[in-house]
Amino acid sequence: MDPLLLIGAVTVGGVLIGGGVHFIPVGGAPAAIATATGVGTGTAMLAAGGGMTGLITAAAATTSPLWLVLMAGAAGSALMLGITMLVGNWVYVWGVGTVPVSAKVTKDPITGLEQEKYVTPGTEGHGIPTVCFVSGIIGGLLGGIGGGLIYYFLYNGLVGLPAFALLPGQSVSVSAAMIAGIFALGVFFVNAVVASYNIGGTIEGFHDPKFKRLPRGVLGCIIASLVIGIVGVLLLQGGAF
Amino acid sequence: MSVAAGGGGTSAVDPKKTLALGIVGGLVGIYLVPFVPTIGPLFGALGAVCAIIWGADAIARVASYGLGTGVPSIGYMSLAIGVIGAIAGMAGAIIFGSGLNVLIGPIFGIILAMIVGAVVALVGKKVLKMKIPILVRCTVELSGAAAISIIGFSAAIAGGIGLPAILTTVISTGFIGLLFILNTMAIQHPFNACLGPQEDRTRTLKLAASTGFIAMAIVGILGIGVSSVWWVISIIGAIAWFISISAFIQDSTQAAASVKWSGWWPKEEEL
Repeated sequence: MDPLLLIGAVTVGGVLIGGGVHFIPVGGAPAAIATATGVGTGTAMLAAGGGMTGLITAAAATTSPLWLVLMAGAAGSALMLGITMLVGNWVYVWGVGTVPVSAKVTKDPITGLEQEKYVTPGTEGHGIPTVCFVSGIIGGLLGGIGGGLIYYFLYNGLVGLPAFALLPGQSVSVSAAMIAGIFALGVFFVNAVVASYNIGGTIEGFHDPKFKRLPRGVLGCIIASLVIGIVGVLLLQGGAF
Repeated sequence: MSVAAGGGGTSAVDPKKTLALGIVGGLVGIYLVPFVPTIGPLFGALGAVCAIIWGADAIARVASYGLGTGVPSIGYMSLAIGVIGAIAGMAGAIIFGSGLNVLIGPIFGIILAMIVGAVVALVGKKVLKMKIPILVRCTVELSGAAAISIIGFSAAIAGGIGLPAILTTVISTGFIGLLFILNTMAIQHPFNACLGPQEDRTRTLKLAASTGFIAMAIVGILGIGVSSVWWVISIIGAIAWFISISAFIQDSTQAAASVKWSGWWPKEEEL
């Protein structure tokens, strides 16, 4: 495979992951005690959940064409984040007893519902309101597509090498799939944390004022992913071992 | 999230000492694996534990400034960089010639991880405008420690430092994913658990030794069926874990003595 194609795929994938993280309602420690909107954990944990599920579903579609691998990755990541947000909301609503509400907007941009008067004084909202949920699903889809893209190109690059070639009767090269999977997971974590540094830990979604920092985060992800892509080309040298 | 913000305090442990422990101990441990007959893999695992202690110290130094994203995030990121560097280095060392690639592989991987770590930290500093003075140095150290810990444990399972052995026993079996999370936990947990105004680095590093050794005990179990000395690694790891966790608990009890002697503050109704 052309090394430039791999570098390009890693860079584009990294940007999609880093951009996607800006959409995910990461609430951090304040959200864990229901004093801020979003899922009550950090970006790294959401990246672990969404990223790993996306890569597992993408890997399940290994021998399929590119669009199907991307769709599988997107579906896996978005589903995992959707379930996380939904179950989190159950805990916030029935466990903590708060109303899912955003403190960053006066009216929910999607449902048009009043937000301001439901925010407990002294807090920055609670739970995952509709706009954050939709934003999180978009983030999951973008991240999953990015992870799937890296996995697809690296797997197909590796499987063309003699060391990873398919044995008779095999349809998937397990070692190539594992290397591609762990590499894509690595890119996922790096870009998720770079994006997380950019948003300063917490964000509600695309309606949050912090979302305006997206271009800077994307620039950071381009540089980081480009370098990782160049390092990744070395994997394609591994044909002779 | 950034409970320990403020940072830059004096540490009870000289960073140069942990750096030397991680690099020298880690590399010696890894390179003894192919040269010492029978018990070679044990040294690989011990080298990885040295690297974990170094990484835990580096994460304590950088995260005491308050990253805003929590301590685990930089741990996950460094391990991601470490895994990428380690695999790419061991696979790509073939460019130095097929005779030397096995020997150059680990060190090449560690250097690659440090380079990627430096780039990511520079992105954080220059592009994202993070205001942590030691971000670049500590991220480079962390990435190096992560790569050494991954290679060390992989060598302990596979019984060699060549990629073919590691590929079949660690990567294809999926243990690489487990090592990813296991080493992240071992490196980031000590400071995440001990941070705060009364953080004592000696105590944090005792906890780091215990997380490293318990990871080593688990790595020994992963080597069942591959390595003949898996039980040696597991038992030594478990004994060392017991010693280090006892030292940590004793240290914590001593630090808590002032509370124990004077008691808690009185409840409102007792006033």
